[in-house]
Amino acid sequence: MRRLFKMPPQLIRICLLAVGIVAAYSIASYFLTPASFGEYGWYRGAALAEMATRDRVYAGMKACEECHSDESQKLMKHEHKSLACESCHGPGEAHAKDPRKDNVEKSSFATCLRCHEANPSRPKWHKQIVIKNHYTGSKCTECHVPHSPSEVP
Amino acid sequence: MKNPLSRRSVIGRISAVVAGVLAAPAAKAAKAVTQKLLVSADAPKDYDPTKHKWLMAIDANRCIGCGLCAEACKKENRVPEGPYFRTWVERYIITKPKPGSGAARGETLVDCPNGGINGYPEAPVLKEEIQHSFFVPKLCNLCQHSPCVQVCPVGATFDAPDGAVLIDPKYCIGCGFCIQACPYGCRFLSPVTKTAEKCTLCYHRITRGLKPACVEVCPTQARIFGDLKNPKPDDPLERFYRDNLVVTLKPHLGTEPRLLYAGIDKEVR
Repeated sequence: MRRLFKMPPQLIRICLLAVGIVAAYSIASYFLTPASFGEYGWYRGAALAEMATRDRVYAGMKACEECHSDESQKLMKHEHKSLACESCHGPGEAHAKDPRKDNVEKSSFATCLRCHEANPSRPKWHKQIVIKNHYTGSKCTECHVPHSPSEVP
Repeated sequence: MKNPLSRRSVIGRISAVVAGVLAAPAAKAAKAVTQKLLVSADAPKDYDPTKHKWLMAIDANRCIGCGLCAEACKKENRVPEGPYFRTWVERYIITKPKPGSGAARGETLVDCPNGGINGYPEAPVLKEEIQHSFFVPKLCNLCQHSPCVQVCPVGATFDAPDGAVLIDPKYCIGCGFCIQACPYGCRFLSPVTKTAEKCTLCYHRITRGLKPACVEVCPTQARIFGDLKNPKPDDPLERFYRDNLVVTLKPHLGTEPRLLYAGIDKEVR
């Protein structure tokens, strides 16, 4: 013990300060590091679970098929089989939770034209129309059945 | 020091030990309380990120530029109004070279009005002058050596074990380093939350067994999505590898993107 006290006092103060800083840092990091930090890597693991708990807006085709399986089966047999219900009908989570007629988007003329209007950038295999030369009315469904495009009504 | 084992000293020592033993759980309880105050975590779901490896691939030959993916992404992730996109569709127009110039191709024109959501205006050049034109959907390139993760000063952005590159919104300080670092321009500073935002591969959907919103609505299956650790029978990703010659964007940067493209031109950056 006597030896230690022979150290110059300024050195002792510095040593005490250093020990104090390290102690304060370890106490702070013990209390402030999130429990899930380092679970998967150098980040807060709980962030993954938090991210996963967000609400969705698009329900997914399975949810649509619970009630509208007849329409989806029809769709699967024709050219539009690669489309999902929500491609044309818009986000459906609200409708899936509370099925009403007014909480799902109405598809229209613009819905068809969004994909089928002629555009030189579109790939050649895709069926396109120049609307002026093709039809001057306002309802594609007069001649086409969207769920089975090869059918003639 | 005459009588080291006096009654007082023995009781003192015992109580010190007891206090030490009691202090540990008390400290643990205090730690839990502090952390609850700082970050409230929802109960983890029945999903193990180490058992999945999600991957997206883009077949540009199939993209018709309808913009449904960009619109669905905006709605699904509540992306703020205005020029903020987690995914968008670019239109490339490569013109014919000027006669006698000796060049193989003319100019490359790229545009993306409102992410492609409202369609595209008429081409800025005449139809006869276009040599080649196509659409390219863009999103986070899911880099294996992500520049955005390396520059984050607070460890808020990270490569999740299941293949998504995510941002912890509670830790992001909105400094914008990652936005500058991303060579693909896939991040933006949200004017609502004031934190960086980016494609999460619709993490809230894929963890519940759904496809990301953009993949769900794509009418031509230009976007292919799958789980490399749990391939389905006749997996769309496997089919994509088999049928296409795949490339990544900006391979010279060494970011090793996992997002794969098929059918894109050398002009696509």
